[in-house]
Amino acid sequence: MAVAHLPPSGTWYGATLKEWIFTTDHKKVGMLYFITALVFFVVAGLFGLIIRFEQSAPGIQLPGMFGQEGADLYNYVLTGHGAVMLLWWAVTVWTGGFANFLVPLMIGARDVAFPRLNAFSYWSFFGASLLVLLTLIPGNWIKMLWTGYAPYSMNDNAGPTSLYVLIVLLYSVSSTAGSVNMITTIVSMRAKGIGWTKLNLFVHAIMAASLIQLFGVPSLMGSVILLFTDKYLGTNFYNPMLGGDPLLYQHLLWFYSHPVVYVMILPAFGVFSEVISTMSRKPIFGYISMALAIYAIAFVGFETWVHHMFVSGVPDWLRVLFSYTTLFVAVPTGIKIFNWVATLHRAAIRYNTAMLFTFGGILMFLIGGLTGIPNAMVSIDLGISDSLFIVGHFHYVLGMALTFGAFSGIYYWYPKVTGRMFSEGLGKLSFWLMLIGANIMFFFQMYMGMAEGMPRRYPDYPPIPEWVQLMQIQTVGALIMSVGILISFINWFKSLKGPKAPDNPWGSPSLEWSMTTTPVGPNNFKKLPVEVPDDWHPYAYYKGYHTHI
Amino acid sequence: MRNLLLLLLLAGTAMAKEEIFAYPRAFWENSVTVWFWVAVAIYIVVAVPSIYFMVKYRYRPKENEEGAHIEGNTAIEIVWTVIPTIIVLFLGTYSFANFVKQRKAPEGSLEIKVTAFMWGWEFEYPNGKKVYTFFNQVADPEKNIYLMPDKVDDSAKAYIPAGKPIKVYCTSRDVIHSFFVHEARVTEDCVPGRITKLWFQFNKPGEYWVFCREYCGTWHSRMASVLKVVPEDEFNKWLGGDAQQPAPAEQPAQPVQQ
Repeated sequence: MAVAHLPPSGTWYGATLKEWIFTTDHKKVGMLYFITALVFFVVAGLFGLIIRFEQSAPGIQLPGMFGQEGADLYNYVLTGHGAVMLLWWAVTVWTGGFANFLVPLMIGARDVAFPRLNAFSYWSFFGASLLVLLTLIPGNWIKMLWTGYAPYSMNDNAGPTSLYVLIVLLYSVSSTAGSVNMITTIVSMRAKGIGWTKLNLFVHAIMAASLIQLFGVPSLMGSVILLFTDKYLGTNFYNPMLGGDPLLYQHLLWFYSHPVVYVMILPAFGVFSEVISTMSRKPIFGYISMALAIYAIAFVGFETWVHHMFVSGVPDWLRVLFSYTTLFVAVPTGIKIFNWVATLHRAAIRYNTAMLFTFGGILMFLIGGLTGIPNAMVSIDLGISDSLFIVGHFHYVLGMALTFGAFSGIYYWYPKVTGRMFSEGLGKLSFWLMLIGANIMFFFQMYMGMAEGMPRRYPDYPPIPEWVQLMQIQTVGALIMSVGILISFINWFKSLKGPKAPDNPWGSPSLEWSMTTTPVGPNNFKKLPVEVPDDWHPYAYYKGYHTHI
Repeated sequence: MRNLLLLLLLAGTAMAKEEIFAYPRAFWENSVTVWFWVAVAIYIVVAVPSIYFMVKYRYRPKENEEGAHIEGNTAIEIVWTVIPTIIVLFLGTYSFANFVKQRKAPEGSLEIKVTAFMWGWEFEYPNGKKVYTFFNQVADPEKNIYLMPDKVDDSAKAYIPAGKPIKVYCTSRDVIHSFFVHEARVTEDCVPGRITKLWFQFNKPGEYWVFCREYCGTWHSRMASVLKVVPEDEFNKWLGGDAQQPAPAEQPAQPVQQ
């Protein structure tokens, strides 16, 4: 195996900059991914605040500059917020950050299957990140939104299409490499005695997410390559004047871009399962059905993409068909939520920061899921398609359930990664501010879309008093949420010098807690090769493996 | 919060009592009402037990330190797989039934053509009369702010007869737009190279916004128009009369780059 020769003891994060740049170690690569994702999370969050302030009053407040209108700047900021939050935060924090760091630890492997490919996938992602930063230069503003619908994206009004295409292609290369790596690792590098029914649910979630990436990304790459050739090389895939079809782009895009939301949310489900089981001191209820539900969601997720196009002119029978398939996603997700609730039955729940974030995430996901039903019901969607209701819905699930899951995961594994304990008080304060702020903001956003019919992507709207009032309430919520997020960041930075953490602070039988030092050593485990007892299970609290293994 | 919830409930239930204000809004509201009560029921079924468990089974030193050893229960798993399946089939079928009514225009509709362009609308009536609305006609150039419908010039308003179903054929000249009338709860994209259809009917005279709901560039948010719903005799006078100002000269649409 192409693993650099590492000292047998010490910490995983080494010492020199050269070690970090030329690393093939899964933990360092994961941390690079993770830091990049957090940086872009902050940038995209600031973009989101710009959007909020622009919408707080009717009229266009953003200044026009460099020969562009204020509305153009808004459209650029909206594109940035969407694309970066989705690809750089929601996908990368899981498939890049958490998965790279945790999956080898959870399955008892020394490293991922292809360490160099892993490093390559990070650096191509880094290249895409640099290209994203280039769009900040005026004149490079991409204004086609992250969906980049043709034929608008072939119009000069949309900004540099080629830059968008290159970013997406580089990102796709990175995703494909990363997902191949994860699948191979999970399939072939499990330690002796760890079968498919003894994997952490987080690992199952990463497996499903990587499969989705592997099958879906080619479709996205195809769509943007055709866009590129259409605009620059004179082909006519999407140009209706010469026999193309604009809807083709939407089909190709959503065939990947709908399943990708499950790439984003399934690992969050995995974190919820880990945290609930650990903090309840109780095995997860219905492990097998939980794992099967993950794969069922991944499978059904590929059969639902037309619900993004319910009003786009596709035939009516297709809309009805996909209305049914979309509604069926509710069944496996419902199973998961019921199982989490059942896990709480007769548990012993410890209310610390990670657990609070998990509860918040599940409750947000419940609201988000229930408000997803009208988007799936085609008759309702005719009235609320492309309204703020949709925006509120996907901010509940992707914006908040996912971010709560990610924050829960960060708080949960923080001791293992850094070797230090964080401040529980600040973490809880951050949680309550985020929960209250997010609910204020997105509930009123949904209300505005459903009852008032405010369309999406509008910097400006008629000065109707109710609209202005609702928008200002949302801004207040957004500010409360931002303060909460800021407190979490402060907490993480401050705690790097916090008190030393024990090896297994939460007392979990899972391998990444029970068989490693804190912080993790360069060889991952105290003892190689990893061996587990026959009746071991990552959630086997009743056998006492969380206290001695 | 409570008032808003009450408002939502009222919006869902009160409509059944008064006269129908617009189609296909009535069908849309049927679906929304059903969804809303199902969602509230599911929320209560999930949230109440979970909050109860959260309080009752919290960690208490020396009393409740370890969770019980329960690995699962096949019977209950089957129950909560089958029941949601039945619920989603019901919801899907209910929305299907309403969807058919929402998409099928009644006989004897007035047919108008709507052509979207960057950034405005062209309405064409059966006798060839055209109405144009451009993005700068709905905004005050001084304050850079939207005008309310009563301030918009009447030449930029599309007149619609009250109490008569309108069938709209949509298309676009350049990029994808979306024709959306909130009070009728109807949306349909205007796709270049395709003709999409929708229908609506207003029973109450008034002025209603038309918005574009598919992102189309700089002035996407100003690409609004006003539907002026008037009694039918007044509409016929407007349609047949030639006292209108001539339509402004057509702006050449931006061609898609070759």
